[in-house]
Amino acid sequence: MNQISRRGVLLGSLAIPLLSMGRMAWAQAGEVTISHYFTGELGLKAFNEQVAKFTAATGIAMKESPVGHEDFKTDILVRAAGNSLPDVFSYWAGARVQFIVDSNALHPIDEMWAANGLDAVIAKPVADSATLYNGKRYLVPFNYHYAGMFYNVKVLTDAGMTAPPATWEEFLALCEALKAKGVAPIALGSKNRWPAQFWFDYLLLRTAGPDYRARLMAGEAKYSDPEVAAALAMWKDLFDKGYFVENANADDWTDASDKVARGEAAMTLMGTWITGYWNGNGLVPGQDYDFFAFPKIADGVANAAVGPVDGLVIAANAANAAGAEQFLSFMVSDAGVQAAWANAQGALSANVNVDPASYNVVMQKAAATVAAAEAFAFNYDLATPPPVAEVGLSMFTRFIDDPSQADAILAQVAADAEAAFKE
Amino acid sequence: MEQHNRFWRIALLSLPLGVFGLFVIWPLFSSFYYSFTDWNGFDANYSYVGFDNFAKIATDRLFLQAAVNTTIWMIAAIVLPTALGLMLALLLDSRVAGARVFKSIFYLPICLSAVIVGQIWTWIYQPDWGLLNTVITQVTGEKFKYAWLAKPDTALWSVIVAWSWQQTGLSMVIYLAGLTAIPGDLLEVCEIEGASPWQRFRRVVLPLLAPSTVVVVALSVINSLKGFDILYIMTGGGPFNSSDTLAMHMYNESFKKYLMGYGSAISVVLFLIALAIIGLYFRQLRKVDRIYG
Repeated sequence: MNQISRRGVLLGSLAIPLLSMGRMAWAQAGEVTISHYFTGELGLKAFNEQVAKFTAATGIAMKESPVGHEDFKTDILVRAAGNSLPDVFSYWAGARVQFIVDSNALHPIDEMWAANGLDAVIAKPVADSATLYNGKRYLVPFNYHYAGMFYNVKVLTDAGMTAPPATWEEFLALCEALKAKGVAPIALGSKNRWPAQFWFDYLLLRTAGPDYRARLMAGEAKYSDPEVAAALAMWKDLFDKGYFVENANADDWTDASDKVARGEAAMTLMGTWITGYWNGNGLVPGQDYDFFAFPKIADGVANAAVGPVDGLVIAANAANAAGAEQFLSFMVSDAGVQAAWANAQGALSANVNVDPASYNVVMQKAAATVAAAEAFAFNYDLATPPPVAEVGLSMFTRFIDDPSQADAILAQVAADAEAAFKE
Repeated sequence: MEQHNRFWRIALLSLPLGVFGLFVIWPLFSSFYYSFTDWNGFDANYSYVGFDNFAKIATDRLFLQAAVNTTIWMIAAIVLPTALGLMLALLLDSRVAGARVFKSIFYLPICLSAVIVGQIWTWIYQPDWGLLNTVITQVTGEKFKYAWLAKPDTALWSVIVAWSWQQTGLSMVIYLAGLTAIPGDLLEVCEIEGASPWQRFRRVVLPLLAPSTVVVVALSVINSLKGFDILYIMTGGGPFNSSDTLAMHMYNESFKKYLMGYGSAISVVLFLIALAIIGLYFRQLRKVDRIYG
């Protein structure tokens, strides 16, 4: 029998990390490195298929390292701190991109944008809200999402819904009818905090309007304002009436989605990525599930749609900036890539050349809803700077745990947010 | 000859020292350095802020809560596995049928990674279908749906239970080894002299187990200082920071709020606390050495 000597083991254990470090340092010339968060239920397979199309078209190899969605938020910072950002990475448009632009860690793409005529490719509302920071372009929108009230068709039909609720009163009546039938009207899985934010976003947007909300997100309005208290009071009312599932803070967003899919709960306020998750579980869009827009609450308030834009950005010190620019341009301009990616992920494309007919019925409706909206707002954790977002996200879970503490929570958050804005 | 040996000693030590220096000492000193800056992790331009970050710690409500939680965590993570391990060791040492099987079973959790233990216990605590609530529902006959990990009153303690479950096996094994070293004649004499079982345990067994206790406590201290992963998996410091420990708080401030400078300041404080605890421990160790050495 071949015995492995102790020295051999020691040498081997040294050689392995050294070799892998070498691999990292000497990435092949012409290669573009990329890191992204499209993993698991967010479509790793489909992403790789689109990347293969780029490699086939240009001959440029992509060296990728996918990281889970939640871990990505930390991982990219660790890599930035270690000065080892990949050439290209996925990032959420809004306050988070603003943060790294302000830190001079991104490469502007204005020249590439102009050379490839992206003005004619990308829908103007998305281009205006998501790609411009401090007057320069930094991001291409790979896809975007819309948050709406996704529901189980059978459950709502059984509860007697003939048309989706258009007003707050109709919505409350629907919840009451569902509760009477013994179904939890609203599922929510706020263990990771962010799924709760859409409630705060929409209640505030529908009562105080997009302009006020933008000011709150930028630190120009305060959490002690009556507008915020009013939105939270409406949310509390829903809890007091028992419309939410029990123990929302113990569930993940997929748990909440499963509850709706199984018919234990009727609906959940979630982004369009839920369609990708449900389709993957064999649900049929339009037949098993559908959505309606968050109902109107007050007259005279601009109708806003909420959602995130998943972007691709280039690091300021990218080793292969030219290749990275080619990648960004191809991924956003190629209608075939955009259509395939949007469909696989349950997302919408910002590329105007993508035929809406390529979407399933639910996503067609989502695209139409966004197109008809008077404003597009990023969801809370992408709309306000990261230190403030942390304060707010914790506020939501604390509120969900005990809505009766709303006043005390708001007082605390007003102070914490003000301090966080100063950071 | 001595000269020659010295050369080899230094030559052979230089590699591990180099690795240790590069991956432990250097990052340690960098975090000291960053704790005096307002670095955000992305920006190469940051400025020196003096002791501002340390002054902020004094007024940080979440830091205070994390400090309280860390104290609870450390005390519980030392006392529970030690006490339970000793209890199990005493039970299994008294020739119970199938003692070997039990030993293996109780030891098994220590072989699992903290991530797996965290996941198993997350399922046990799951409010709708978790083992714990299902058992309570069966026993009481009433649907029980308490969310152990999502309630601020129980989140930290629920993780401590999971942690103790994993760590108990280790202290049990060490105590079992310690028990075999206690001479049987001694206990026999005690019995003949009319010492009650409690007296035998309190006056003979426990003092003779002191060296084992030192090892168990030392391991518990070290492990509990490292205990970040299981908390991260099970609660992530939540709900709303109620189960944050100092390590978790440092992580949140650095990587979620992008306040690397402030996070570094917290890590410096954490380092000093660890240093103090380890210093105390070494003093105790010397005492024990003097008595038993």
